Amino acid sequence: MTKPAANTSTPTRREPPRWRRRLLRNPLAITGFVFIGVFVLVAAFAPFISPYSPVEQNLRGTYVPPMRVELRGPDGQPGLWVREVSRTPLGQLEVGQELYPIRFFVRGEPWVWWGGLLRSDLHLFGVDGPVKFYLLGADEQGRDILSRLAHGAWISLSIGLIAVTIGLLVGVPVGLFSGYFGGTFDLITQRIVEVMLSFPGILLAIVLVATLGTGLTNVMIAVGIAAIPVYARLVRGSVLALRDREFVEASRALGSRDLRIMLRHILPNALSPIIVQSSLQMAVAILFAAGLGFLGLGARPPEPEWGLMLARGREYLATAPHVATFPGLAIMFVALGFNLLGDALRDALDPRALR
Amino acid sequence: MTTYVLRRLLTVIPTLLGVLLAVFLMVRLAPGDPAQLLAGEFATPETLADIRQRFGLDQPWYTQLGLYTLNVLRGDLGESVRTRKPVTYELSQYFPNTLRLTLGAMLVALLIGIPAGIIAAIRPGTIFDLLAMLGALIGVSMPVFWFGLMAILIFSVQLGWFPVAGTGTLRHLILPAITLGIGTAAILARMTRSAMLEVLSQDYIRTARAKGVAGRVVIFKHALRNALIPVVTIAGLQFGGLLEGAVITETVFAWPGIGQLLVGSILARDYPVVQGAVLLIAVAFILINLIVDLLYGAIDPRIRYD
Repeated sequence: MTKPAANTSTPTRREPPRWRRRLLRNPLAITGFVFIGVFVLVAAFAPFISPYSPVEQNLRGTYVPPMRVELRGPDGQPGLWVREVSRTPLGQLEVGQELYPIRFFVRGEPWVWWGGLLRSDLHLFGVDGPVKFYLLGADEQGRDILSRLAHGAWISLSIGLIAVTIGLLVGVPVGLFSGYFGGTFDLITQRIVEVMLSFPGILLAIVLVATLGTGLTNVMIAVGIAAIPVYARLVRGSVLALRDREFVEASRALGSRDLRIMLRHILPNALSPIIVQSSLQMAVAILFAAGLGFLGLGARPPEPEWGLMLARGREYLATAPHVATFPGLAIMFVALGFNLLGDALRDALDPRALR
Repeated sequence: MTTYVLRRLLTVIPTLLGVLLAVFLMVRLAPGDPAQLLAGEFATPETLADIRQRFGLDQPWYTQLGLYTLNVLRGDLGESVRTRKPVTYELSQYFPNTLRLTLGAMLVALLIGIPAGIIAAIRPGTIFDLLAMLGALIGVSMPVFWFGLMAILIFSVQLGWFPVAGTGTLRHLILPAITLGIGTAAILARMTRSAMLEVLSQDYIRTARAKGVAGRVVIFKHALRNALIPVVTIAGLQFGGLLEGAVITETVFAWPGIGQLLVGSILARDYPVVQGAVLLIAVAFILINLIVDLLYGAIDPRIRYD
């Protein structure tokens, strides 16, 4: 009983989409791509980039500040060299005299990644000698901050992706049905959305975590649920604007069923704001998760979650500022990357939005 | 107008009831015995029995909800597990501090955000514009808690200009207010810029320029006044959003506000206070948005409600 889909696509061949050109010509978009790219690569190959395990402690290395890299060796030869820096039992920092060379692509601790798919003992760099090299310093337990940041990138990326997926999977259909059918379903879902939005920003995630309990999984769920009303609102608004347009009427007149109209005609036209929001929402999710970690309501120690790392660094801000500095920078650059990309996508997909 | 106000007031009621239901469900859905959650870990059997009785925990859920609603309407939010004082008393101790912090932050946001947006809009495409907009993007990307810590590190620890934490004097307020306000400043700067650009492209601006009105007068009298209408709305709505940021900022600066109370209570599993704090923040947020909505019509006479 359904008619052939002669009405759905225009016969003209599409030229390379203009939005893509606009996007790739925008320096802010490129900057965003670079930040996100670095973040994803670091997350994907965290143990390779980390010289050490993120949880390996070293009592002689507590609060070691970022180490100085010398460009000349003991006999003046060029290269990258470091001295041993360690803490004496009395708590004093002690800098050794001897220089040890830094080597790239070294064999070290074996690691397993991607749930067992990737196994190796290769590391991007390491020191040739019986010393530890803390490029970004060490934390209160002598754990390498760089290694923790790299593994934390994986955590942040997972939280962001899972949270945005939850938001999309629930929020988009709710918004679609709610806008298309209206009526009681719309009335009820909109009241629920309103209630959810009455807990501003991170508060909704906090409320959910307070109910579900802390821990990474619950953080993902909480931050994901917090994204649902945002998508539901957004999509509903787009659908309301599209519902009565001619092409929708035409499709209905040709006998298309509601589900088909929604999926083939309305959703594709409502896609731009969804894409833009998803980039911005990644930033929000990562900031929320870090915020929860910072408040002690998120990841639990010894998890190398960025917000949690920052919280631990707070206690020794005056004596070891590097512990809190680097995780914060990491969060900021990743959030900035997604915000830049989201903004650029908005400009590229909807040039009327600005100016 | 009057009908609009009445209708808008009526729409708030289901939302408020929904928030109440959500807060009610928090304790019921959390793992564990609600009575135990409300009474605390070390409650005696007598206290537990008393809590069960008072909140009707042995009754069906709708009775419980009714009882809870009635108690809330009467201003009885239960007792803090930690201090054994009424939750309403606890909230009244902490809320004024949050109010001071958010007001200070809003002042910071307005003072930074609006001028930055104006400068960016007057000279679009220049280095001022780029810097202001990049600054704004960094402002919304920066984790509040990290900015706060860095501010403490630089201005309190190293320069010694401000106290590290606590409350009391105006000097205590400055760093937390800047920390909390900076994100909102970023949002306001972007809003002001696009609103100004929009207005500056209008015919009446060209007319004003053509008839020889001084540039500054055009900007501030003709353009800014019109551009500020959406900005004021956003500022109002952001004011509610500041309540959210306050939760984190207060923790950073050990600022004894409602956010710190909330986080501390969650960590201590002091559920009655958690419920009270969440309820207070949500209700404050709803009411602020309501007021902004109603004021919107008063500020801009062009807006008609039907």
